[in-house]
Amino acid sequence: MILHILNRPPSSSLAYRDALVAMGSEDRLLLIEDGVLGAMTAQVRHFQAIDGRLFALREDLNARGLLGQCDASVQVVDVDGFVTLTEEADKTVSWF
Amino acid sequence: MRYGLLVEGAPYSSQASHSALRFAAALIAKGHRLESVFFYHDGVYNAARLVAPPQDEPHLYDAWCSLNAEHGTRLQVCIAAALRRGLLDAREADRHGKAGHSVESPFELTGLGQLIDLGRAVDRLVTFAP
Repeated sequence: MILHILNRPPSSSLAYRDALVAMGSEDRLLLIEDGVLGAMTAQVRHFQAIDGRLFALREDLNARGLLGQCDASVQVVDVDGFVTLTEEADKTVSWF
Repeated sequence: MRYGLLVEGAPYSSQASHSALRFAAALIAKGHRLESVFFYHDGVYNAARLVAPPQDEPHLYDAWCSLNAEHGTRLQVCIAAALRRGLLDAREADRHGKAGHSVESPFELTGLGQLIDLGRAVDRLVTFAP
């Protein structure tokens, strides 16, 4: 299982498409930095294909005043959870 | 586990350095070892020894140095990316006839081969890009 890390939102970059195409059936996607905007209900539809495997970083949501506004399908993790996700993955790939 | 980080974002330009430092602190707190941070592309600006940010802002340069002092994390800088951006240690400054140097220990100028070695040596390599 590979952890994919995306720091750009679907509203300003198509990097998410490359990530989704590259993802295997068990892979996970973590949204960080401005990428957390993708966890909002208005944008989360772009990640329907990986339902249940989408994560967003709590600290970056909080820094943007978006904590609590995540779509219910997104799993919010803090930076410790980020480390755990890297432990559980065989390797990580960053998309930007 | 043994970790390595690859930082490609310039300080105070993107969030990459902040994200990497926060991740570094978290992984060390969980008992992992951070072997090295490799700075590439505009990330090499993190190694500029003369940075002087306002006192009420995070001092990213000092934060990197603390990782080295407290945890033995190597701070490796791609020499090809550094030289063309004016980031030279004393040896390279002398070699190129420059009056001063802009990189010093604990940062070290290394080749891209060191990044390949790092990727092979650690259990996890995580990239933070602009």
